[in-house]
Amino acid sequence: MTESGTAEKRNVDLSGAARGVWLVKVPKYLSEKWKEAQGAGDVGKLRISRSRVAGGKPEVIFSLNDQLIGNDATPVPKDHKFVLTGMTSSAQTLTLLSQENIDQDDPMQETTGKLAVEGRVIQRAECRPIVDDKYMQLKRADLEKKNKPHREVIKLDRAEVNYKPKAYHPADVEATQKKKEEGKKSRLDKDHVMDLLFSAFEKHQYYNVKDLVRITQQPITYLKEILKEICLYNMKAPHKNTWELKPEYRHYKSKDGEASSSTA
Amino acid sequence: MATTKNVSPPTQEYVVRVPKDTKKKYSILKFHHSLNIDLTKSGPLKMGRENNLKEYRQAHDMDSMPKFGAGSEFGREQREEARRKKYGIYRKRYNPEDQPWLMTLGDGKQGKKFKGVKEGGIADNVSYFVFTQCPDGAFEACPIEEWYHFTPQAKHRCLTSEEAEEEFLKRDQTLNYFSIMVRKRMKNEEEADEVEESEKKVKKSKSKKDFLLTELDEWGIMSDDDMEDEEEAGLDTEKKESKDKSKKQSKKSKDKRKKNSDDEALEESDSFDEGQEVDYITGSESNDEDVYEEKNRDGDSKYKQQGVEDEEGLKFLVESGEEEEEEAKQEEQEEDEDSRDAKEKKENNDSDSESTESSGSESDPEKEVNFSPLFMQKKKEDRKKAVEAEGRSRSATPTEEKAKKRKAESENSVVKKVKVESTLSHSASSSSLSSEGITEEAVRRYLLRKPMTTKDLVQKFKNTGLSKDQLVNTIAKILKRIDPEKTKIKDKLYLSIKKTD
Repeated sequence: MTESGTAEKRNVDLSGAARGVWLVKVPKYLSEKWKEAQGAGDVGKLRISRSRVAGGKPEVIFSLNDQLIGNDATPVPKDHKFVLTGMTSSAQTLTLLSQENIDQDDPMQETTGKLAVEGRVIQRAECRPIVDDKYMQLKRADLEKKNKPHREVIKLDRAEVNYKPKAYHPADVEATQKKKEEGKKSRLDKDHVMDLLFSAFEKHQYYNVKDLVRITQQPITYLKEILKEICLYNMKAPHKNTWELKPEYRHYKSKDGEASSSTA
Repeated sequence: MATTKNVSPPTQEYVVRVPKDTKKKYSILKFHHSLNIDLTKSGPLKMGRENNLKEYRQAHDMDSMPKFGAGSEFGREQREEARRKKYGIYRKRYNPEDQPWLMTLGDGKQGKKFKGVKEGGIADNVSYFVFTQCPDGAFEACPIEEWYHFTPQAKHRCLTSEEAEEEFLKRDQTLNYFSIMVRKRMKNEEEADEVEESEKKVKKSKSKKDFLLTELDEWGIMSDDDMEDEEEAGLDTEKKESKDKSKKQSKKSKDKRKKNSDDEALEESDSFDEGQEVDYITGSESNDEDVYEEKNRDGDSKYKQQGVEDEEGLKFLVESGEEEEEEAKQEEQEEDEDSRDAKEKKENNDSDSESTESSGSESDPEKEVNFSPLFMQKKKEDRKKAVEAEGRSRSATPTEEKAKKRKAESENSVVKKVKVESTLSHSASSSSLSSEGITEEAVRRYLLRKPMTTKDLVQKFKNTGLSKDQLVNTIAKILKRIDPEKTKIKDKLYLSIKKTD
């Protein structure tokens, strides 16, 4: 959640705006195959033959690369027909925008990546499989897969023991080992602890005891002694069970919260 | 690359590639056809995401606590998050990529603005690819990841529903629709200055008349104002004078209306309802009475003497009220036409000035002729000369008849239509009138519902299309027949009927 995500507008590269592109609706199984073969050269061939009738729509057939069809139980149909619909039927202007993401892990790229208009859609097409045995097999496999229940009853010969009693659980072992490494918290000089506390209370007004223990690395009894001297314990609602400095030790700026919230 | 197949139409073959370009993310921007988006000609294009982080925080109540310094609690957010998770509440994180696009097309201020909202569900069951042709002839297929629907953003501000309603009421008066927003802006500026003043004013002015339950109340107030005026003028003055005054007032108010068109629409709408039954009045009976009592504390004592059933008294009540505005207006329109005619005549014939005056202007004393027979007789003699003069100018009809005619003329427009009837006698008319809406039944019904003054009664039957004279006559007759109970509240005579059966 970045707070600097401002709505600053960036210039969009319009050099490719005049380019005409086709928008093709592709069935999921085919698009999966295509994604598999991403960057590996051609995925198939497009055959465009003009219609015999003058002024008719050209016939476009896409045939998938043989290597991508796959030899497993559910082969994908090879030939698909492109049904061209043109742009006149829909009352929309479609524009293609590309957005560069140099580093996908960085969410800031979203707001800084270069924008470019890559073209406008001049033709819409629907990639439909030519219905044959292969396609029917594919559909059948899909349907069977879909209708298969997620959980099935299996008969077991003997009872399986899921929970085996353990003396040392791995999580516990880890924790104890960590504690051992740290050793016992030793009592530091009182002034030093108070310095630590004051610097902590500079950042926030209210602290839980547990957090203060972690920050100061002091035994809780010793810490409570000091806290009773310089702090007040809140027992009521908005900041229940927290410690805050006594008024005489405080020097917070008024309305500090608003000014500093942007740096959080 | 093109290879001809065995069939006659030539077939071209292209290679389709799926480029390995993970850096680029493609999305489709949808515009409506009518927007005529042509990015090649439109000039520079700027885009940016809308920043809704603030709204997100407000919606999730995240900004309530300061994060640092005074009032902040160490590790509160994490703890809250953990607590929520314990209860199975998982909040959607704010994702800047899901925010709508804001687009400016064109230069600076002339640029068109668009907002593109992300559309979901399109690629649930299918995938979309964009095919582009490379220089070497092969097609490249790039997957589309997101869809955005762009709509133009309005540059202007819109009227609120109340303001729109107000303007709609003025629809017939508004000639320049472009000035509406300008006026609104000016008004806003003024308001900013006068907020305090107006508040004080409102408190003062809205002492009594603030809360009007029904139209009746409104009428009551209006007539009251009138009464007070009359009091100022002196109660002893002759009827004629008061009549005159009421006429003038009605004219004044009419003029006023013309000046501020705002009021006109409102009052016009009132005129449609009057005389009709208003059922919800019954509930607020006591309230109404209160209002009357309040209004009439310093009321008019002139009704004390005369019984309501007397024609005279009833007539007077009716005449003095300003509630005849509507009717008077009609009359005036009629008379305006008359006067126009008269003026034309005047131009033609200057010597007839007296006669034109008499038939034309409103302050004409002869007009009152119809209100009191006594005066009429007196004036007849006075005016005989004038009549004769007019007779000369118009036609050679006998003077007696002429006078009658003129009397009818000066009467209400409706009477004009039934001229024959009116000239014959009033008694004959009563029977015909009952067919027009004023029936004994109706009067009974009104009186049963709640106590009323005669004035109110006349008001109820006003839009039956009769002249005041006839109205008053018939009502008086009916009242005589019914013989209702009379009670006097604050110097006003209220009539009522008790339910017997």
